[in-house]
Amino acid sequence: MPASVSRRELLKWASAGAGAAAVGGATWLVGRDGADHSGPPIAGGNDTVSSNTSPVSVAETAPPPVPAVGDLGQRLLVVVEMDGGNDGLSTLVPYGMPAYYDLRQRTAVSETDVIHWTDQVGLHSKLANIQRRGAAVFQGVGSSQPDGSHFEMQARWWSGDPLNGRSFDTGFLGRLADAIGDPSAAAVAVSVGSSAHPSLISRKVSTLAIPDARSIGYITGANDDDPLRQAFQRGFAAFADTRAKGFEDVLRAVRSQTVHFAEAIGEFDEEGDGGYPSSSLGQGLRLAAQLLHTDLGVRIVHVPMNDDFDTHDDHPGRHPTLLESLDTSLEAFFKDLEAQGLSDRVLVMTTSEFGRTAHDNASAGLDHGTASVAMLMGPVNSGLYGEHPSLTSLDDNQDLIATMGFDQYYATVAEGWFGVPAGDVLNGSPGLIDGVFS
Amino acid sequence: MADDNALIAHVLRRLTFGVHPDRLAQFDGWTATDAIEQLLGEAPLEPERPELGSDDDYSKLPQWWLTLMSSAEAGLHERMVWFWHSLLTSGLNKVNPALMYRQHQVLREHALGNYRTLLQTISVDAAMLYWLDGAGSTIEAPNENYAREAMELFALGRDSGAYTEADVRAGSKAFAGWWVDGDHSDEVMFDPDSALTEPVEFLGATVQTAEEAVNAIVDHPACPRYIAGKVHRYLVGVDPSDSRLDQLASLFADGGLEIRPLVEAIVRDQSFLDNRLNRPRTGLEWLIALRHLFEAEIEWYYLDGLGQVPFNPPNVAGWPGDNRWASTAADLGKAQATLDSVGDTATLDENDPLADILRRAAQFEVSDATTAVLTDAIDAVESRRDLSTLLHALVACSPEFNLA
Repeated sequence: MPASVSRRELLKWASAGAGAAAVGGATWLVGRDGADHSGPPIAGGNDTVSSNTSPVSVAETAPPPVPAVGDLGQRLLVVVEMDGGNDGLSTLVPYGMPAYYDLRQRTAVSETDVIHWTDQVGLHSKLANIQRRGAAVFQGVGSSQPDGSHFEMQARWWSGDPLNGRSFDTGFLGRLADAIGDPSAAAVAVSVGSSAHPSLISRKVSTLAIPDARSIGYITGANDDDPLRQAFQRGFAAFADTRAKGFEDVLRAVRSQTVHFAEAIGEFDEEGDGGYPSSSLGQGLRLAAQLLHTDLGVRIVHVPMNDDFDTHDDHPGRHPTLLESLDTSLEAFFKDLEAQGLSDRVLVMTTSEFGRTAHDNASAGLDHGTASVAMLMGPVNSGLYGEHPSLTSLDDNQDLIATMGFDQYYATVAEGWFGVPAGDVLNGSPGLIDGVFS
Repeated sequence: MADDNALIAHVLRRLTFGVHPDRLAQFDGWTATDAIEQLLGEAPLEPERPELGSDDDYSKLPQWWLTLMSSAEAGLHERMVWFWHSLLTSGLNKVNPALMYRQHQVLREHALGNYRTLLQTISVDAAMLYWLDGAGSTIEAPNENYAREAMELFALGRDSGAYTEADVRAGSKAFAGWWVDGDHSDEVMFDPDSALTEPVEFLGATVQTAEEAVNAIVDHPACPRYIAGKVHRYLVGVDPSDSRLDQLASLFADGGLEIRPLVEAIVRDQSFLDNRLNRPRTGLEWLIALRHLFEAEIEWYYLDGLGQVPFNPPNVAGWPGDNRWASTAADLGKAQATLDSVGDTATLDENDPLADILRRAAQFEVSDATTAVLTDAIDAVESRRDLSTLLHALVACSPEFNLA
C-alpha cells in the first residue's frame, strides 16, 4: 500500500485527545436573552490601573477563604476552553474606565450588571457563583504579536507558544501530561469531544478523547449470557493486537488505547443530568469529575465549551448567556468535587484564543481582538493579577495591547500548581505570576 | 499491485461516498480508468426539495442529504457539493433550514462550475450573510467576520501571506451594506447608504463593492493555489508536491477558475490511484459505508456522536483535518452505531462467510492480522445468523474498513 504519510506524524495525532464540537442537539442554538445591557456612559474616573502583580483585594465583599491544597503528586487540572474568542471586557468589566463606554457604545455592560471588585473593574453579574467562590483573574492575557485568525491563535494556545502556532509538535497539555503522568495509565489527559484534540498531543503518556460515558459500554463488559456481544468485544479488542502497514497502524494503536481505557474505566453514571446543567459544558464537567474520581491516572481533563463566543453580532444578547452557562456549570462541578472530597486537588483554568475588538461594530457585535482575561478557580488566592490593558493606548489596529503573555499564565499553572519547571514545557523562560498559589 | 477490484473500490471511496453494492456490480470487470471516466461523465443528481420542517428543526436536512449521499446514484458531483459545503461553510446552529437549503442549491449549481461565480454568489447568499455576520453590517462600523474568513479560509489561506489586517478592514468596508429582509421571504437586500461611497485599496486593487472585492480575492495569485491544494487534498488524501501544485494552480487559473478541469486533472493523474487507504474515513464517510454494508437506513443521528453532521459544521473552518478522525472518540462512536444497527444484516454464504463479508464490505486489501481476527470469530458463535451478525459488526470496526 502506498503510504505517503509519515507514520510518526500519524501516531502523534493518534495519541491526541478529542475536541472540536460535539454537535449535541441541545446546544445547537446559542440562547439569546434579548436583554438590553447597554447602560449609559459613566462619567468620572480614569482608565489607568496600577501596575502590580499582587492580588487586589475585593472592595465590597470579604475575600473567599482559600481552600486547602492537596499533595503535589495528587493534583488535577480541568481546562475549560471558551471556544471562539471570549471578550475580556465583558467578563471582567472595566466599568470605572470612561473609555470603556466610549469604545463600546452598543455593547458595553451596564455598571448595574457588574459585581464591583475594585472601583475600576468587576466581574459580570452572570458570574456571581464564581465571584462568591473566588477566582484568580488574570488581566490582559494574550500575545505580544497577536493574530486575527481563530485558527492561528488556537494553534498557539493549544501548542503553548504565544508567537507561533507551529513551534511545537506536541500540545501544552500533552507536555504537561508527559511531565506529571504515569506512562502505564490508560489515559493521563482526556478531552471531552468527538475527535482528537491538538492540545493533548503527547510523547510519553496516553492522552485521548471520549464524547461521553455512554459509549464505553458498547466495547466492554458484555455478560456471559450474551456470547454474541462478548465475541464482538473480543474481536474489537483483537484488532489492536497486531501491527500492519501504513495508516492501519495508527488505527490499531488507537484501538489499543480505546480498549485499554474502556476496560479501566468500567461503567460510568450516565443516567439523568447528575445534578449538572444539561448543556454540553455541564455534562462535560460531569464526565470530568467522574474521570478525576477514578484511579485511572487521569490528571488533566480538557472540556471545550462549544458554545459560540465568537460574538460578531448581538453581543449583548449572547454573551451574558454564555457566562451564565459557565458559571452554573462550574458551580455544579465544584459542589460535586466537595461531595467527593476532591476540592483541594482540582484546579480549573479557562482558556480562549483571543478577546474581542476594543471597539464594537454596527451589528452590536465585536470582531476578533487580542488580549482577554483568563481565570483560575479552586485552591487559589482569589484576586486580580497583572495589569488591565489600557483602553486609551491601543495598538496599530486599535486593539488592546496584552500586558501578560499567555505563556506566563501557562507557566504559573505548570510550576505553581504541578511543580513542573516552566522551561520544561514552554519556550524560553516565561515569568510566573506570583501569589496565585499558597 | 492491487487488483482491479481494489482500484475500483478506491475510486468509489474517493469519488462517491463509499462502495455501494450496485456500483460495485455496475463496475464489475471494468478498469479503474473507465470507472473514473464514467463518474466524470455522469450528470448531477437533481433531488426534489426536501421537507424542511420548522425553523428550529435540525433533523430533516441532515437526514435528507445523508440518504441522498448514500444512494447508488450519488457520484462525483455530489462529492464536490460536500467539498464546497466543507469549505464555504454555513450551519444550522446559526441559520434556519430554509436558508441552509437555499445555500445548498447554490453549491449544487456551481459544484463543478466556476469558482469565481461560486464565491460571488455565496458572498451575498442569505445563509452566509447570517453565518458570517455580513447581514446588517454597515460602513459606519463594518463587521470584519466575512472579509477575514473569506480570505483566510475560502480563497487565499493565512499561510499565503496574501493579505494584511488592513486588507481585512478594507474588505469589510466593501462587504458592508447587505442585509436580509426577514419580513419578506429572507430576500437579500443592499442599502447604498450603508455601503462605501468611494473606493478603498484592497489586496492591491481599488474596490468599492462586494463584487469588486471578490474579484480582487479570486484574482490574487494565492487563490488558484489555495483552491487547487484543497481539492487535491480532498480527492487524493495528501497535499500535492510544490511542483504539482504549481501545475494545478496554473491550469486552474488559465482555465478561468473552472472547477471541472481541475478535478479532471487531479483524478486522471496516476497519483490519484496510487494514494489508496492513506487517511481515515471521516465520520460521514464511515457511516455511509456502514449503510452500504448493512443495507440499512441508519439514521443521521449517529453522525452527531461521530462528529460530522451535514449542514452543521463545528465552526467556520468546517470539520477537522484527516488525522483527527483516528481517535478513541471515533472508535467508541463507531462501536455504538455498529451494534445499534447490525440486527438485520444479510445472512452470509455458508460455505465461505469470510470471503462473502469481505466482498460485501468491498475490502480487497485486507491484512493477515485482520483476517486472523475474523477467522477466530467464525468459531466463536454457533448459529449462522449470529455468525453473519458478528462478521458484519467486526468488519465495520476493522482498521481497513475505517480507511478511505
